[in-house]
Amino acid sequence: MNQSASSQTPASVAPQGSRLKHLKGEWLEGLLLLSPAVILLLSFIVYPTISGAVLSFQREDPFGKSREWAGFANYLELASRPEFLASMFTTLKFTLLVAPLELLLGLIAALLVWRPFAGSNFFRTLFFLTTAVPTSVAAVAWGWFLNPLSGWANWIVRALGLPVQPWLTDPSYAIWTLGVITAWAGVGFVAILLTAGLQGIPEDLYEAARLDGATAWVQFWKITLPLLSPTLFLVGLLTLFRSLTAFGQIHLLTKGGPAESTFVWVYRVYQDAFFNFRFTYAAAEGLTLFLALLLLAALQFRFFGRKVHYE
Amino acid sequence: MTQNLEPNQTIKPFNFSKNFKQIPFYLLVSAYAFVIVLPLLTLFSASLRSDADLYAPTFLPPHFTLEPYRLALTSYPLGHYLLNSFLTSSLITLGVVITSSTAGYALARVKLPYRELIFGAIVGLLLVPGEITFLPLYLHVNSLGWLDTYTALIVPFIASPLGIFLMRQFLKSLPQDLFDAAKIDGAGHFRILWHVAIPLASSALGALAALTFLGAWNMYLWPLVTTQSKEMQTAQIAVSNLVSAEGSQWNVVAAGAILVLLPTLLAFLVAQKAFVSGIALGGLKG
Repeated sequence: MNQSASSQTPASVAPQGSRLKHLKGEWLEGLLLLSPAVILLLSFIVYPTISGAVLSFQREDPFGKSREWAGFANYLELASRPEFLASMFTTLKFTLLVAPLELLLGLIAALLVWRPFAGSNFFRTLFFLTTAVPTSVAAVAWGWFLNPLSGWANWIVRALGLPVQPWLTDPSYAIWTLGVITAWAGVGFVAILLTAGLQGIPEDLYEAARLDGATAWVQFWKITLPLLSPTLFLVGLLTLFRSLTAFGQIHLLTKGGPAESTFVWVYRVYQDAFFNFRFTYAAAEGLTLFLALLLLAALQFRFFGRKVHYE
Repeated sequence: MTQNLEPNQTIKPFNFSKNFKQIPFYLLVSAYAFVIVLPLLTLFSASLRSDADLYAPTFLPPHFTLEPYRLALTSYPLGHYLLNSFLTSSLITLGVVITSSTAGYALARVKLPYRELIFGAIVGLLLVPGEITFLPLYLHVNSLGWLDTYTALIVPFIASPLGIFLMRQFLKSLPQDLFDAAKIDGAGHFRILWHVAIPLASSALGALAALTFLGAWNMYLWPLVTTQSKEMQTAQIAVSNLVSAEGSQWNVVAAGAILVLLPTLLAFLVAQKAFVSGIALGGLKG
């Protein structure tokens, strides 16, 4: 009973020595609890980030054995290569379509099902379903759906009296088609997060608005949107990151083609590293993608961060 | 045939205007849900067709057959790939649950020097997606001699900044009294974590586990670059291989994809409620 006396005594009246001892014990326990995670994060996220940055300022011999400092050579080469600039542009186009579209489609789904109604659980399941669909399965499902011979997409188009569309085989369409596929795959998770956000808005605000005779339209703009804005902001960041780093669906469906029209940034890094074996150059491409990602996130903070309404 | 009604029992008249108003709403919800599920339905339909029926322009297969499933399972060791995915995803999930609980607890409840600074740094790591670090991480894992092993597929992912963030936020939000009571009873931090924090956090941990498992199951780029032998490949890569090998046999590809979808889909259908409420709990609301 007396063994744990030091931890029972309130710190303020404990003698200095025992307090220090107690604190040391506390630190030791805390360190033991924290260190496994911190060591893992340092080895597998922090270290690769730093070593990737270091790598990008080096050059390697053709066999990839030894490396030496090269200053900004890789970055200068990037800036002069039209195919890299094209990849940048493709990625930005893709992101500008996917991030808002995913947010919008998810918001519509969440607005339809966040209040309980007869059958709401059933519809929630359908709207949230894509959360459970792996990228590869999403890609195959859409590959079949858009199949020129038998795809439903083309049956629908033909039923509307339009010609069959080359969804994934025309260089001017493919990136937009992939954007729709990517947004579709993200709708479920966005809808889950936004439904949780909507359910966190106090119901009495709506009641008060109804008593004042506010229409559903006014309620949406004056209550729902302002109070949902913190969640929307967070989900906006998520969709931004997801679209900037899309890879699996592109690797599976178009491999960057046709005519390199879907050769997004991550795909360029993958190609230069694992097919051209230019690791240092690919590391520079990866680091510039990271900087672009941080820049776009900062822009989002700058333009939407202050409009976010916190209770 | 007339029924005798109790005097105080009233029949609710069928509210025509109310039910009528709901019809457009139900039409809208159903149409939207249908559009969202349609690609998966057509995939499922393709997986039940014979080669001859594959291109028949009908919604349902003209003749149901399980032959594509038999082909997908016998011509490819799909079961082995699924097992690989299951093994790696489960171990990653277990690791993330453990490291997120211990680190999240330490950052929320243990008086450590520079605690807020460490937490801030971990939150900062949320800005570093795996697609940014995959190349240097690949070189790192290569120099450790881990390429083409389960170690490479599991170990780099058993600590998650998101998991630590969610657990720290959750444990911080609990009332201090719960922890004081345990402290007065003389319990150390390990015992408080095990007997107080983890039971209280079970729903948040459940959601974190589900989220982690889905993320690990979905991993595509990493297993693509770190696995070379057929024995090590995961279900995602198997689908990719199936597409390149059987490009024209869409019914077999579809059957393989449905088999890869099934585990996460079933888990999601079973745990959807807990998953959704756990996410709401986890402080993702901002």
